[in-house]
Amino acid sequence: MTFAGRGLQRTVGGRTLFADLDFEVAEGQVLCVRGASGAGKTLFLRQLAGLDPLEAGELSLDGRSPQEWGPQAWRAEVLYIPQQAPILAGTPAEFAAQLLHLHAQRQRSGDDPRTLAAGWGLAQTAWDQTWRTLSVGERQRALLATLLARRPRVLLLDEPTAALDPDALERVEESLAAETCVWVTHHPEQAARRATSILDLSDA
Amino acid sequence: MPDSGPLDLSALELGCAALLLLANGAVSVWLGLGLGSRLLWAGVRTVVQLSLLGVVLVFVFDAQEPLLVVGIGSLMLLMAAREAVRRAGRRYRGVYGHAFLSLMLASGVSILLATLVVLRPDPWWQPRYLIPLLGMVLGNGLTGISLGLDRCLLKFDEGRGEVEVWLAAGATPWEAARPTASEAIRAGLIPILNAMSVVGLVTIPGMMTGQILGGSDPSLAARYQILVMFLIAGVTAAGTTGCVLFAVRSAFDEGGRLRPERISKVG
Repeated sequence: MTFAGRGLQRTVGGRTLFADLDFEVAEGQVLCVRGASGAGKTLFLRQLAGLDPLEAGELSLDGRSPQEWGPQAWRAEVLYIPQQAPILAGTPAEFAAQLLHLHAQRQRSGDDPRTLAAGWGLAQTAWDQTWRTLSVGERQRALLATLLARRPRVLLLDEPTAALDPDALERVEESLAAETCVWVTHHPEQAARRATSILDLSDA
Repeated sequence: MPDSGPLDLSALELGCAALLLLANGAVSVWLGLGLGSRLLWAGVRTVVQLSLLGVVLVFVFDAQEPLLVVGIGSLMLLMAAREAVRRAGRRYRGVYGHAFLSLMLASGVSILLATLVVLRPDPWWQPRYLIPLLGMVLGNGLTGISLGLDRCLLKFDEGRGEVEVWLAAGATPWEAARPTASEAIRAGLIPILNAMSVVGLVTIPGMMTGQILGGSDPSLAARYQILVMFLIAGVTAAGTTGCVLFAVRSAFDEGGRLRPERISKVG
């Protein structure tokens, strides 16, 4: 499996954040994305997920473009996980159940998010609390576990461990060890631990 | 049943009623509300607008001209669509057309039902029936549409993260927007549902009051009011649903992306 982009570009208000950007991630590899605040790290991930339109260039997963996959199938395979889990309606358990009914997810097999999150120290009771009553770190773990359990081919991670304590952080990193990721991080040590290659948006 | 034409109401007598506004003005001055000029202006507008309406309606009722009814009806629709968008607080390109179309289809079908099947005046487009009914359904329908639009555009504009979590997981725009759409439609329907459950117990609706004061048999007035409530409920439900679905379609692009930059605040 190969996930690749060629000639990508992003401008905001006339300012070019990156242009002519190429990357390639093979199965099990982790591309760490670095850059100062405002360098366009999140916008880069959003383009990869097809949440923002491409200004130039092209993307491919296994040689097929997002158009060939279809936007929904593409996003189910190249799954973007936001930096902060938003406060959703209902509970994480309801979210996980509703997710299985999405057209793009129905045919796919997945894991049990509760088992995954239990390994990260998320209490079972958290699944039946409303998102509103969970702490930022609990929300992040519940969301990450639910989405990771859908087994996308590529994870687009936007500082996924920012809200976690060091212990939970280590265990989340272990769970992600075998995943193919494009991973935005501010921490050089995290990048050093996880990256198979590094993309610095400040240079692009 | 004592006879009935309504008692006459002269300009001088209305002037006495206007004394009540003076009481409002006194409160405004006393508490420093700063509402004096607005109160005066609102009072003047009430008098001018309603007097003009009276004159126009006399003309339209006497003329018995279908094209005139179409013209007045279209004008009412335009004003209602404009007001619905203005009250919603947020807009997008094409929202006026969507509000107009939703109101036109919803009120068109229900008014046709009322005039062709229920009341059957002769001719069926008799302005004395058609125009007041249209006014009632549009006035309420626009409230439903504005509440529905407000709720749904607010969510797309400021609750982007929530919608995009669903999109990111592979949801189609409709799958991602469905909770928002249901919530918006519910918000639009709550006022009329509330009104229907207390009507007659707590409130005597304006139209029924008018008919009774105008000399109608109260039980006939009640039946008319029931008809009007049903029409309003139908128009509000259909119009709000239609307009919210238009808004959902407009907020997403062909690549299944949410485009909040298409939504802007009004005013």
